[in-house]
This record gives sequence, structure tokens and C-alpha cells, in this order.
Amino acid sequence: MALKRMLENWSRLRQHDYYADEPYMWGMSIDLNKCTGCGACVTACYAENNLPVVGKEHCGSGHSMHWMRIERFWTEPEDNPDVDIEEATDHPERGAHYLPMMCQQCNHAPCEPVCPVAATYHTPDALNAQVYNRCVGSRYCGNNCPFKVRYFNFFDFWNELPHPLEMQLNPDVTVRSKGIMEKCTFCVQRIRSAKDAAEDAGHHDHVEDGTLLTACQQSCPTQAIVFGNLKDEDSKVKRGWESHQVELEHFEQDKSEDVRGYRVFEELNVEPCVMYLDRVRDTEA
Amino acid sequence: MKDIEWAKINKDVLASLESPRPLFWVVIAVCFTLVLAGVAAEAYQYNYGLGTALMNRPHYWQLYISNFVFWIGMSHSGTLLSAILLLTKADWRKPIYRFAEAMTLFSILTAAIFPVIHLGRVWDMYWVLPYPNERTIWPNFRSPLLWDAAAITTYATSSALFLYVGMIPDLAICRDNAKGWRKKLYTAMSLGWMGRATEWVAFRKTYVLLACFLVPLAVSVHSIVASDFAMSMVPDWHITSFPPYFVAGALYSGCAAIITLFVMLRYLFRFEAYMTTEIMDKTVKLTFAIAMVWNFLNLGEYAAIWYSNDMFEKEVLIQKFIGPYAPVVWGMLLCATVAPFAMAFEKFRHNMWAMFWLSLVLQLGMWLERFQIVSPPLASNHMPWTWAVVWPGTIQMTLTVASFGWFTMLFLIFCKIFPSVSMYEVKEMVFHRRIASSRDEMEDISKIKDEVMQTEVGLK
Amino acid sequence: MRKKKHLLFATYADFDNARDAVTELKVLDLKEMAVEHIELYSPIEHPEVEEILGHFHQPIQRFTLFGALTGTLCSFLLVAAAAQSMFTVQPQGGKPVIPLPMDIVIMYEGTILFGVLSTLAAFMIYSGLPRRMTKHYNPKVSEDHIAIEVEVKPEHIEHVRQALQNCGPLEIREVTE
Repeated sequence: MALKRMLENWSRLRQHDYYADEPYMWGMSIDLNKCTGCGACVTACYAENNLPVVGKEHCGSGHSMHWMRIERFWTEPEDNPDVDIEEATDHPERGAHYLPMMCQQCNHAPCEPVCPVAATYHTPDALNAQVYNRCVGSRYCGNNCPFKVRYFNFFDFWNELPHPLEMQLNPDVTVRSKGIMEKCTFCVQRIRSAKDAAEDAGHHDHVEDGTLLTACQQSCPTQAIVFGNLKDEDSKVKRGWESHQVELEHFEQDKSEDVRGYRVFEELNVEPCVMYLDRVRDTEA
Repeated sequence: MKDIEWAKINKDVLASLESPRPLFWVVIAVCFTLVLAGVAAEAYQYNYGLGTALMNRPHYWQLYISNFVFWIGMSHSGTLLSAILLLTKADWRKPIYRFAEAMTLFSILTAAIFPVIHLGRVWDMYWVLPYPNERTIWPNFRSPLLWDAAAITTYATSSALFLYVGMIPDLAICRDNAKGWRKKLYTAMSLGWMGRATEWVAFRKTYVLLACFLVPLAVSVHSIVASDFAMSMVPDWHITSFPPYFVAGALYSGCAAIITLFVMLRYLFRFEAYMTTEIMDKTVKLTFAIAMVWNFLNLGEYAAIWYSNDMFEKEVLIQKFIGPYAPVVWGMLLCATVAPFAMAFEKFRHNMWAMFWLSLVLQLGMWLERFQIVSPPLASNHMPWTWAVVWPGTIQMTLTVASFGWFTMLFLIFCKIFPSVSMYEVKEMVFHRRIASSRDEMEDISKIKDEVMQTEVGLK
Repeated sequence: MRKKKHLLFATYADFDNARDAVTELKVLDLKEMAVEHIELYSPIEHPEVEEILGHFHQPIQRFTLFGALTGTLCSFLLVAAAAQSMFTVQPQGGKPVIPLPMDIVIMYEGTILFGVLSTLAAFMIYSGLPRRMTKHYNPKVSEDHIAIEVEVKPEHIEHVRQALQNCGPLEIREVTE
């Protein structure tokens, strides 16, 4: 039976853009000019997705579970290239760069093919799905992710949750046990209900742009995060990608000087669905 | 060795099954204790989660994987020594191939433990097997880990069968001389082998065919283990030359292990008459050659990374030599690159105990090599924000030490139950050498005759 | 009812003696058709036995070939079918659902596994193992003696015994089973 189906659909199963005709491809753009590094998105993510708060000790030993994190980088002073990196961090007056980093939902995700049990795969709406129930915890995906945004449950963190706090868990999201990998889902539970709502309202295969917000986007005080459907020509995120001349399927973007869009590690050819807008700074100040 | 009586061969080898030196029992007891410690460590880790092993992000893999690579690597030399030397008709393999094959089998069994205890959810590990189920969920054959599973299953099956088939005539010898439970065991395992010509002809054919399969299989197994790294995109794992580099490293550490076990068995079971200095000499020369191949590939890898000038890979390489893991890398170079040159001296090669200690140094070097393959690239990966250095904690170290105990215990128990020197092949070796020498004698005599004739003719 | 077999079981100290005995038996067989079947028992392999006993028909390598090819095919079908039979047909990492390059690895291993197993099966078939030990088997054979087992018709026993006796055996036993 499986063989019959295989022979009938052979050419389709051999094509590499299997989801070319799907109506959705969720994408994001993050404006680093607007990001203040406040961490509201991180907090919102903890609340929305039932992330365990691991405490100081586990955080120090590298077991923290923040799906979204604010990476902080310090610039080397440009006028003095001889200064070494340790000293460079001693220039707080210049301020830091902040980079909110979460799963980039790569279209050519390196984490997907290495899973021995097929616990992670690509959904028709271009999400990089993680099936918690199927995961056996080989952690190969975590190694192969160049962004290191996959988080492993090294302990059963929910055992330590004091009594009334289990009431604040989000009922739409699984609570993960020890030994499995997890990561940002682009708030897949919200995507699900938005799609259902659109279907109920009679919009087939079309979620109105702006009706669907991810938790991080919703809580960002400067509205640095934009989320939407990259296959919808009128969506804000698609227009953002276009105006900054960032294209899918191109890892060397050929663009004018004054646009700021880029994707992290484009040269690795993993096709991330998140575009960042570079921060512009006055280096003379 | 060509003058040993066949009956004496039987007697000597069968005696090894009954009365090893007392040190044997001490070694077994120590190994068993180590295994118990390992079981305790695993039970703790099983209950409290993998975090107790001190792995973290980005160090998702650590000692378990490097031990896995180490043990799989060690298994390769048994096949090399047995199958390749069988196909090339090198008869010095005959007294030592049996224990080398047993080493292959038991190091695979040791290696197979590590991917299991490494899993986050050990209790669900059977999901990796392709079994039909009502949810039509299958494992993912794109993953190099699945290739590993396939390769190791094939390798364990094939090398166990190769070992067993090669042992059937010897089991028959044991059966004819044993009493009690041993008699029952050997009778069942020797399958009623009586040394008939039909059996021998089929046996030889099968044995050569299996050897033909084992050589490409062994090469593929470690290439696939290398693919675990080479197929990923972590800088300094994603290296094209990894498969041959791993195979060479595997043969290297495996040959060192053969030397260790050679000396150990020779002493524990009193095999001085069979495991001679000449055989040791040949094994060591082979090891030296492989060590040089490994060194070439290792230096070639450094050169390739340096000249490619890839930002990420070069950074990892620099961090290897001057970063936090530098002692490991320099230790590896000292043990596995500098130390093997001692094998160039004949005096050293012929000193059993010196070779014993040297082989341990080589294995330490190769163990460090596996550690420096796995850990430093994770410590300085693509994303600088996540850079972190982690050293393996107590649990990982306990399980590592326990794996050595587990291997040695299984191996010594095997040698106590089954003949670790192949009796029938040593007999063959003796037989063929006797024929060859008598042929030489005949030739000498006829030569002398000719000369005498010629002188007589000349005198006339 | 099964016809009774008459066997002569002669033990020799040396391979050369045994070879002479077999040659003599062959000559006898040409003359009188006295010998039905000769089997040689030896502690080690003598590659010459095929020359003196005649060719053994043991096409083990054919089993190996067909086993190996079956393995290639089966593992390809397993991998390709498993990849697309998931309830969510799984595209991963921007690769096709049925990716051919990685199937080759599994096919390679499948080839070897099936090849090895079928070789072993052929070994069992052609060597006649596992089998029960015959009662007259001499344990000395596994040490250093060589034995010849000859199946004869009852009327020829004396002739054959004489032939065996000529080559200096250690012992000759007469067995009926």
C-alpha cells in the first residue's frame, strides 16, 4: 500500500520544495534599531509557553530554558583596532548591541534531517515543528543548530514548581518532561486558533495580517518585532522583507547600501525565516 | 614454533580454559566492581536526568559520544587482523586472531551501551528501530544516527558470526575433551562438527566469503560513525576527510589494544609458546604504519582548515591549541604522534612489557583524540554568545571507567570459556611450515647431489 | 524400511597414509564398484581433499550473491517506503521526502547483512550442520589423527578392509547403522 502510494507520487516525493503551493509561510522581522534589550519578549515567552524558570544555579551551569534570549554584544571601538576584546567590553558608554534570538524556523533546517526518530519536521506552513511525544533526546538537533536555540530538558524542572504556581500554566501548551528537546514554536497554539477563527469567519486559507500576534511581538514595548505570513503579498512582514531586499533562496543578498535587512548566518544556507534590521549607530558620539 | 606437537597444542590451549594465573581472578574482581559503579551512576542519571552528567547547552554531546567512537574504533582492528590478513594469506595471524575478533565483538557491545545511556529518554529508545506500528511512524533514515544503528547492527551480527564460524572446529576439540556443563555447552555450539571433508570445504568457502564482507563493512562502519560529525554543520565537525581519518584512527587504537591484550593474555594464560616475539614484532610494525597514516590525516586536516581560512573553523582550530581544551590536544599529540616513534626501535619492539605500557599510552592518546573531536568544536561553535567550556563530571567519568571494566570483564570471561588461541589454525600453520621445511630439505639434498655430480664430472 | 548401511572406519596417524588409502580405494572402486561413499575426517583443513575425493558441489557463493542483492533491494524499499508512509509525509531540511543519497548508506549495510546471513545459511545447508554425532566418531580426530569412513556393500567388506589395512592404519572399525 505504501509502495503503491510511493510509485504514484514518485516525482512529487522527489521534489525539494514540497510545500511550494501552501498558503502560509510564517516569518518575522526584528528591527534592532528599535530593540532596547528590555527582555519583555523573553518574559512573555516564559509565560505563554510554560517555560520552566530554572533558577540561578542551573542557569549558571547552562541548563536555562529561555526559548527567546537577548544576546548582548559590545562593539570594539573603531578608532583603536589594537585594543583587545576584554578591554573592548570596558566601553559601556557606547552601549551594547542587543539581538533577540529564537528559533529561526529555517526552511532548510539543519536540525530536521538529523533526528533519528523523525521528531522534528517541516510543517506545511513552514514551521520547524518539534514533536515532544516522539523525541527520545539524542540531542543531535541541538548540536546541528548553528543558532543554538534548541533547549534540552536536562531535569524534570516541573517537579520543583511550588503548589499554587501550576495554576498559571498555559492550558494550550504542553508541559515538557525531562529528556526531550524543545524550542520556539512561533507560538503555534496562537497560529492554530487564528487559523480556526479565520476558517470560522469564512476566510479560507487566509489569516488577516495583524490579527495574529506572537507573545514576544505582543509584549514588545517598541514594536520591534513584526510577525506574519510571508506568502501574503500585503502582509507587513512581507513588505518589510521586500523593502530591505531580503529574499528567500538567496544566501548572498545583492542589495543597495542603505537597506539594513539581513538574516543571521545566511552564508550557511539554512534559509531562516527571520530577518533582522541592522542597528545604525553614531560611532562619533 | 614449527615443532610443536599437535597434541601439545590441544593440551596447552585447553589448559588455559582451566587454570589461568591467580591475577586473572583479581582482574575480574576489579572489573566487576567498576561495572557496579557504572550501574550506580547510570541509575542516578536515569532518575534525575541528564543534567547530572554536567552536559549543557551547547555541550549536548560529550564523553558518551567520544567513548562510543573510541570503542567502535577499537573494534576495527580485530577485523583488520583477521579478515585482511586471512585474505592476504599472512599466516602469522593464526595464533592471535581469535582474541582479536573477540575484542572486536566485545568492544562493539561496549560501544553499543553509550548511545543508549546518552539518550534523554532511555525508556523510549526502541523507537529508533524500524518496526511496523499502528500509527505508521517510522524512524528517520536521513539521520546519521540511524545509519549508525544499521551499521552497528550489521557489524555486531557479522563479526559475531565470523568469530563463531571460525571457532566451530575448536569447539569440537573442546567438546571431545570436556566434562560437565562445558561438555553440554560445547556439544551444542559445535553443531556436531566432526572434521569431515564436506564440512571443511564448506567451512573454508564460508570463512573467506565472510572475510570478504567484513573488510568493506568495517571500513563503512567507522566512516558512518564519522558521518555523525561530518554530516553536521558544526565547525570542525563538518570535514570531508573525517571518514578516512576515523578509519585510520580506529585501526590505530585497535592495534594498540591488540598489543595490550596480547601481552595480557600471554601472561595470564601462559601462551608464551604461541604468542611469540616475532608475531609481536609484526603486529607492532603494522601498528607503526597505521600510526603514521593517522598522523598524516590528522596534520592534513589541520592544514586543510588553515588554508580554507573559514572563519568559524579556523577559530575552533586556534581554540584547540591555545584555548581551554589545549591540554587535551597537546596530550593527544604527545601520546599519539610522538610516542609511536618508540616503535621504530627493534629493542623496544621485542620487550613485551615495554610494549604493554606503550600501547596503553597510545590508547590514551586516541581516547583524548576522540574527546578533542567532540568537545572543543561545541565549545566554540557558530554562535559566540553560547560559547562555554564544560569538563565531564563525575557521572560521565564513572561510566567511562566502568566501560573499560565491562569490556575487560566480558573479554576475560570469553577467554576463560572459549579457546583464545585458534588450535586448528595453529596446527595448520605448524603443518604447512613442516611441509615447507621438508621441501626445503629435499631441495638442499638434490642441490648437494647435483654439485657432487658436477664435481665428479669435473674430476673426470 | 531403511536399508542398513555398512561402514568401515579406519584411523591413520598421518595424512600421507590416509591419502594412500583413499587412492587405493579409488582404484578398487574402479575395478569392482565396491565403494559407495568415502568421507575423510581430519583435524585441520587439507586443500588437497578435492583432488583425491573428487569435486564437492557447494555453490555457497551463489547464495551469497542472491542474499546480498535481496538485501540491497529490501533495504531500499524499507527506507523509501518508511520515508513517505508517515501520517505527516515528512519533508525535512529542504530535502525531498525520498532522498536517494542517504538511502545508499542503508542499502550498503543491508547488502552486507543479508549477504552474511545467507552465506551462513548456505554453510549450514552444504556442510550438513547441525547434525548428531555418529557413534563411531573417534575423538582422536580432533587432535591429530585422520580417519576414513567408507560406505560399502556387505559383500565387498573384506576387499575394502584389506585395502585399508595395506596403508598402516591404527585401527579399523566395522559399523552397521
